[in-house]
Amino acid sequence: MLLHYLDLSWRSFKRTPLVSFLMVLAIAIGIGITMTSLSVYHMMSADPIAHKSSQLYAVQLQVMDDGHTWWTSDNLPLQLTYQDAANLYKSEIGGQRLKMVRSGFSVYIDSDTVKPFSQSARLTTPEFFNMFDLEFLYGEKWSLQQEENAAPVVVISEELNNKLFAGENSVGKIIYLDDASYEVVGVTRNWPLTIKYYDLNNGSFNDPEQLFMPFSLLEAKQLGNWGNTNGWKHEDVRSFSAKLQSEMVWIQFWVELTNEQQKNDYENYLLAYMQEQQKFGRFNRKELAYSIRDVNKWMAYNNVVSQDNKILVALSFMFLAVCLANILGLLLAKFLRRAPEVGVRRALGASKRQIFMQHIIEVAMLGLLGGLLGIVLAQFGLLGVRQSYSYYESLATMDLTMLLSAPLIAISTCIIAGLYPAWLVCKTNPAIYLKSQ
Amino acid sequence: MMLEIKPIFHALCRSKVGALLLLIQIAITTAIVSNAAFIIQDRITYLNQDKGYPEDEILAFHVMHFGKDVKSHQQFELDEAMLRALPAVKDAAYINNIPLSGSGSSSDFSINSAPEPGLSARTAYFFTDDHAIKTLGVELIAGRNFREDEVVVTNDNDQRANVTIVTQALLNELFPDEDGLGKTIFLGDIPMKVIGVIKHAKGPWLKDSRPNNVALIPYINPNISGNFLVRTAANERANIAKRIEDEMLENYNKRVIIRVRGLDQDKAQYMAEDTLMMRMLIVLITILVLVTALGIFGLTLFNINKRTKQIGTRRALGARKSAIVNYFLVENVLICSAGLFLGAIAALLLGQLLMKHFSIAVLPPSYIAVTAIMVFTMSILAVFGPAKRAANISPSIATRTI
Repeated sequence: MLLHYLDLSWRSFKRTPLVSFLMVLAIAIGIGITMTSLSVYHMMSADPIAHKSSQLYAVQLQVMDDGHTWWTSDNLPLQLTYQDAANLYKSEIGGQRLKMVRSGFSVYIDSDTVKPFSQSARLTTPEFFNMFDLEFLYGEKWSLQQEENAAPVVVISEELNNKLFAGENSVGKIIYLDDASYEVVGVTRNWPLTIKYYDLNNGSFNDPEQLFMPFSLLEAKQLGNWGNTNGWKHEDVRSFSAKLQSEMVWIQFWVELTNEQQKNDYENYLLAYMQEQQKFGRFNRKELAYSIRDVNKWMAYNNVVSQDNKILVALSFMFLAVCLANILGLLLAKFLRRAPEVGVRRALGASKRQIFMQHIIEVAMLGLLGGLLGIVLAQFGLLGVRQSYSYYESLATMDLTMLLSAPLIAISTCIIAGLYPAWLVCKTNPAIYLKSQ
Repeated sequence: MMLEIKPIFHALCRSKVGALLLLIQIAITTAIVSNAAFIIQDRITYLNQDKGYPEDEILAFHVMHFGKDVKSHQQFELDEAMLRALPAVKDAAYINNIPLSGSGSSSDFSINSAPEPGLSARTAYFFTDDHAIKTLGVELIAGRNFREDEVVVTNDNDQRANVTIVTQALLNELFPDEDGLGKTIFLGDIPMKVIGVIKHAKGPWLKDSRPNNVALIPYINPNISGNFLVRTAANERANIAKRIEDEMLENYNKRVIIRVRGLDQDKAQYMAEDTLMMRMLIVLITILVLVTALGIFGLTLFNINKRTKQIGTRRALGARKSAIVNYFLVENVLICSAGLFLGAIAALLLGQLLMKHFSIAVLPPSYIAVTAIMVFTMSILAVFGPAKRAANISPSIATRTI
């Protein structure tokens, strides 16, 4: 029966090619516009580490005294002070923990073929690779021992390994960062990340760093911060050690909590920690505040999806509604003109239900065609978006979910538009049309 | 001309669905277009604002030293001299951060020394030297430029500059009732005397709450990295840009030169998102208006087909062609007015919704009015063709088949 209806639909399409084509075009334009903005939205809000995003938590502490404000929605600074990060890292509470900060260097090796270049680096504790699921191509992460001793070691990315060592196993080789030498202990596999969720401070869609080094090098080599450093009160921080002791926030901290119990324990611990610190004259507040947010909440809190994109998605669905009204009008015209034919079919014994189904299937076919053409149009739209700005390179694309949802949205839109015309046409009273023929 | 509104209205009531669809389309179109047009206008104003710099003449780049055999602050002085000596270069200056680039330093500047409370204003500040005014091309409207001996070139963090040149906007905020020139202002506990006033300049962030509060401080303490600004003739800029890396490395080679670009390219990067939003909205409303126009066109054609006999009969009974055209025009005006009325309400509601959830200002009613006039004109144009066609229906049609 379905095949028969499809055959009928196709015949009907060919009978009124112009109107049918206009309908397909209307759907295609609506879908093209909607899918362009929806795809970008989808990529921007996609869960970057789906299997454990609800176990990784970014930690925030309200370090500011009463009377100071921050620009975040809940008034909490986005990063921690150096001393708080150190204390939380040392504690035994919670699952795996890491502290980190972004830095950078001039990079060169003992070779004339590679010109010195600048590269940003992540100073972090070795848990980073486990917690954020980085895989190793060669070698491995540095040991806790090396972390403690501020050993001059570095893990480089596959891309950087290709650039410096032509892709060979470079474990044990030496690279120079600024004026010091470091031994390569590992090479990570390419880490395709559309959203740099672990550090959203300086561009949510920037590429991950390609150099990873022990966090302890920060103090040992007095390295500069390439991320944000924010103070909230007047402090004299002319020397590096003063900065480490200061109340300025510049260190990021994540903890892995696998169950509700662990989460509760950790929250209690944070409160207890701040109360203890109050004894040293810190956290001068009536009400202590902190926050732990999992990956998805962290991205929402940091407004990873730009408000422009949300507005565009909303407007393009309204646009789709206009297209729907258009299709509805055209369908009415098309179906009602067919009333005599339907009258004959009804007289020959077709039930209302069958007539209804036949027309809905015809409409769904239009939707499918429109959806497919819409995908093509959306590709042009996304091409335009990609060319406008480099960071849309990986964001303005359609993944499988979006490719499948395009025809789905198109078909359901068309079926909604087709309900009324199909209902109208199946109500046709056969007698009238039999008489006039 | 008789506007036979009553019979037209009754006729409309008999084919409600078609009219309703048209009405909905017009309402949604009005709501979207007026709001989108407002956002577009907002972005155009933002993108075209006066930054205060001759952006097409300025080149910026970043230097990172890895060699430790020279002192950065001394090397940068030599580099400046070399850059200024290049042909077609008007001036060059060291600066710690680049204006309009989206990265920089800011702090509260106060009329009292910290921690004493006092009137303060958020200010973006740049560490640079006496060549900055000319290199940036900003206009000094009062006071004077830095003297060479006021520029502190050092690698000692305890040394401080004690003068500053600030924008008029900052002085107006810190000294609302008096002339701030010659007064002392404080960055934390560092006192600086205001010796010059810049008419207008933007800091690193155009979206800052105080984008116009800028202070230049004559202080060069670059640690291992810094930025340079070079001002050239606009048509020579590309040539100079190509030479920068080689010239700089020839001066001293244990360093990396990156991000050589024009100030306007920097800005383009920073503004890319807004440019994209503006373009997408323009595409969206253009297609939307076209689709709606086509919808009106199609529905009128459909109505005419349905009423061929009725029109023929009216013509046979003596109606003039103009009466037929008028009929469809009036019918369209009726539907369109109702649609625009609903659309205006929807536009206001949508505007409120956008304002509530996003940082968008209240939609001015003028945008709705202009959109309404435009949609109205468009719908008249869309209906005119089919109506003329209807008027040409021969009266004999009426007699043929009934």
